[in-house]
Amino acid sequence: MAVKKKFPYRAAVVACNGTCAASAVSRCKYGCVGCGNCIAVCRFKAISFNENGVAEVDEEKCIACGMCVRACPQEVIHLHECANYIVVKCSNEEKGKEAREACPLSCIGCGICEKTCTAEAIKVASNRAVIDEELCLSCGMCAVKCPRHAIRDLRGVLTD
Amino acid sequence: MYTFVVNGKSVTTDKRQSLLRFLRDELHLTSVKDGCSQGACGACTVIIDGVTCKACVPTTDRLEGKNVLTVEGLSDWESKVFTYAYGEAGAVQCGFCIPGMVMCTKALLDVNPDPTEEEIRYALRNNYCRCTGYVKIIAAVKLSAKILREGVIPEKGADDWKVGSRVHRLDVEEKVLGYGKYPDDFYMEGMCYGSALRSKYPRARVLSIDISKAKALPGVVAVLTAEDIPGENKIGHLKHDQYTMIPVGGLTHYLGDAIALVAAEDMETVEKAKKLIKVEYEVLPAVHNMKEAAAADAQKVFDEEESNVQAYKHVSRGNASEAIKNAKHVISHHFETPWTEHAFLEPECAVAYIDEDGDVMIISTDQDAYCSYRECSLMLGTDKVKAENALVGGGFGGKEDMTVQHHAALIAYHTRRPVKVRLTRAESLLIHPKRHHFVMDFTMGCDEDGKIMGVKAKVASDTGAFASLGGPVLERACTHAAGPYAYENFEIEGTAYYTNNPPAGAFRGFGVTQTCFATETLLNMMADEIGITPWEIRYRNAIRPGGVLPNGQIVDESTGLVETLEAVKEEYDAARAAGKPVGLACAMKNAGVGVGIPDTGRVKLIVQEDQKLHIFAGASCIGQGLGTVLVQMTVSNTDLKREDIVYERSNTWIAPDSGTTSGSRQTLITGEACMRACRKFMEAKAGGKTLADLVGQEFYGEYLAKTDPLGADVPNPVSHVAYGYATQMCILDAKTKKIEKIVAAHDVGKAVNPLSCEGQIEGGVVMSMGYALREKYPIDGNCKPVEKYGALGLLRAHEIPEIEAIVIDKPGLNVACGAIGIGEITSIPTAPAITDAYYRLDKERRYSLPISGTPYKKEG
Repeated sequence: MAVKKKFPYRAAVVACNGTCAASAVSRCKYGCVGCGNCIAVCRFKAISFNENGVAEVDEEKCIACGMCVRACPQEVIHLHECANYIVVKCSNEEKGKEAREACPLSCIGCGICEKTCTAEAIKVASNRAVIDEELCLSCGMCAVKCPRHAIRDLRGVLTD
Repeated sequence: MYTFVVNGKSVTTDKRQSLLRFLRDELHLTSVKDGCSQGACGACTVIIDGVTCKACVPTTDRLEGKNVLTVEGLSDWESKVFTYAYGEAGAVQCGFCIPGMVMCTKALLDVNPDPTEEEIRYALRNNYCRCTGYVKIIAAVKLSAKILREGVIPEKGADDWKVGSRVHRLDVEEKVLGYGKYPDDFYMEGMCYGSALRSKYPRARVLSIDISKAKALPGVVAVLTAEDIPGENKIGHLKHDQYTMIPVGGLTHYLGDAIALVAAEDMETVEKAKKLIKVEYEVLPAVHNMKEAAAADAQKVFDEEESNVQAYKHVSRGNASEAIKNAKHVISHHFETPWTEHAFLEPECAVAYIDEDGDVMIISTDQDAYCSYRECSLMLGTDKVKAENALVGGGFGGKEDMTVQHHAALIAYHTRRPVKVRLTRAESLLIHPKRHHFVMDFTMGCDEDGKIMGVKAKVASDTGAFASLGGPVLERACTHAAGPYAYENFEIEGTAYYTNNPPAGAFRGFGVTQTCFATETLLNMMADEIGITPWEIRYRNAIRPGGVLPNGQIVDESTGLVETLEAVKEEYDAARAAGKPVGLACAMKNAGVGVGIPDTGRVKLIVQEDQKLHIFAGASCIGQGLGTVLVQMTVSNTDLKREDIVYERSNTWIAPDSGTTSGSRQTLITGEACMRACRKFMEAKAGGKTLADLVGQEFYGEYLAKTDPLGADVPNPVSHVAYGYATQMCILDAKTKKIEKIVAAHDVGKAVNPLSCEGQIEGGVVMSMGYALREKYPIDGNCKPVEKYGALGLLRAHEIPEIEAIVIDKPGLNVACGAIGIGEITSIPTAPAITDAYYRLDKERRYSLPISGTPYKKEG
């Protein structure tokens, strides 16, 4: 469905890498559980499962209506501005060790991103990194420095 | 081994380092500027696989197979288009952000050939510019898009190079294509790198310094301490209280004081060696603020001073107390303005070496090459010193003092090797003098018609760890606190205190940005009390030609405050009638140093072997466009064409000393000296002589701007030779609570280049929007300031409202083609205008900056 979008474009983002599923650890209780509710409610076919069985948004198709955000039982989907292509792809709220065990790519709340961020845009709250997109300069320093690869460049340049 | 493509060529490296360091240090692609290495500024923006990326972020090991493009890799056609568009739009000032902006332009237009304005702003919003206010960069992107779509580069809008013509600035191409050199772009044969070990404590006594381990580290070229200074340790712009290095037994004054200097083959070794220096300190309690500095039992910042009072000024004319006592309406209030960081895009850097005459040659980014020469000569105890400006990536007052020049000079002097000393962004934030934090108490009395009867004030400023220009800034804050109004009774008392905070000194507006906020806010409050509009109260009090300012000076026919008020009147009335919140403020600012201090412009015109007339002026172009101004003045005052004239950057061995780029003085003072030299040139050229006939001849012009000292015992002292005047108006969108538009009407005398002039206005307005709304320079309990460039709160391209620059082209004085400086006044009335607009919106008066309760600043 072609929908005319208004700039600045917004889209849903799933704050979960889903790597726990792929790496045969028991599935992280904070992440996407692959229930498919979001896929079912999306009228624009903008969401699909990735190779890990985790929801992933096609920003080209998404119009940020927010249906999926409301439908997600895990509350791992939020809306963001597409121009902010550096995103945290993890929702784990456990402390370091537990978070580390839950998923190979989990945020452990170490705070390196917070120390690194020139704009004071990323903060660790409830043991996970959250980006304030109003302040973020999209440099990706946090993504590059993140020892857990939990922060990603959606454009695929600074991270895979 | 990592292999990737840079500008179409495959490159291989086995060193893991940031892409920025690889591009600069190994490939010498110096268009990629190092403005912060923190991911903030955007000056190092390149294109990787089609999208923009700050080169300081990725490391070489992550780039395998990727395709990197820098400005050097643009096609000929793209280079021509961007050079034309950026020049035609007037988008280039200091130029340090420009290659990054050009990369953003290309990345956007490659995928979106006809972008909307909002899309352009978003494409630029992760890159900072401190000069232009983004307005003309956005225009340049629009124009680039149009040309790329149409495939034809149009004729230049103006090309006659006469005064008044909107010509492209002469340094556009080198700045757009990134081949122009700032000091950091010099990579000399055999060059080593230097850096200072800074004090660990803001206030401590240095008990011992052990450099033996650092010296023994392989790769270290020299480790120097205060004992190695052959001349004076203490230097300074005016007062000599800035230590080159703190000696054993000496007191540290702030965290930026140097203890030792290290020079080594590379920066990694420099940093390692710094860690090996052992310094013993006796830690002493620090002086954190003015209150502590002024206390009866205060710790002294300087051993050698009697108290922490760095400067005291008392300015009085008429009888302010009596006038206020008899006034029908009296309002008093306390005001505060914050520390502000200049945040110029280019961090301080100097390269020094021993030249063929055996002199210490300093290539610097400063506001006065002669100042670098004088202070380094003093420190080295010899005048066998030369200084030359490279391109200067912005100054705004923050590059008037020695930060790296003296250290580079000392290392070159001892090692006889070329050396580069460059501040990291965190060092830059700590070390160069900032805008003074002021606390102010003002009282204003008016009669029933709103005529000002008298103003009385007491102000204090924190001038930090050394004087810098703390005294003159305080003086200008005091003299201009009266505002551009005609009244007789004015009294102000000001004190500047030393503390162990970073130093404060010159900053665009030079103290007036602070006191103007108080005066103009009081005037707005007074208008409400009397029941007239803020516009009307200013119109009634405005200084008019022939009128007498509170400092006693009779103003001349060029005075154009009323014209600036009239220029905004129609829109002011319309916005008010439409129910929009509107705020207004006026300002005056001197052009030239004034107050009896000898202020001389000097220019030498030399016809060289190439049969062109070369302009030599010992006056720094810091991005404001002085070179273009002087060339336009020369074209207008000779029969030469643009192509017959070469502008030379300031140096200290051919160019005569024309003073500091400060006090909005260069256009007027050096401009007039240039005109006088032109007259001599034309006399020599009389009788049909050509340039070829005059090869080897020199033509010298000098202009002394004569003024009376402060408090001179004459009926009407001439405090300054010229003043610029301005009215700025801020209109809010009541729904979004954001600024819809700022109108800035400026009386500039004759605008030499109206395009550049608008650029100064837009840049100054946006800089002070930041000062009014958001910018911060926090200093913690250990006197340590913020280290992150991105945390300063500078405004970004998508946050800028419409800015209408109105240039009032009123005939100026009979000097410098009638031009009056514009550099500083652009930043002065903005904050009180914005503050009043927010009062009109929510009826909350705000007395300290940055103001709260706006969508620009997150509270809490």
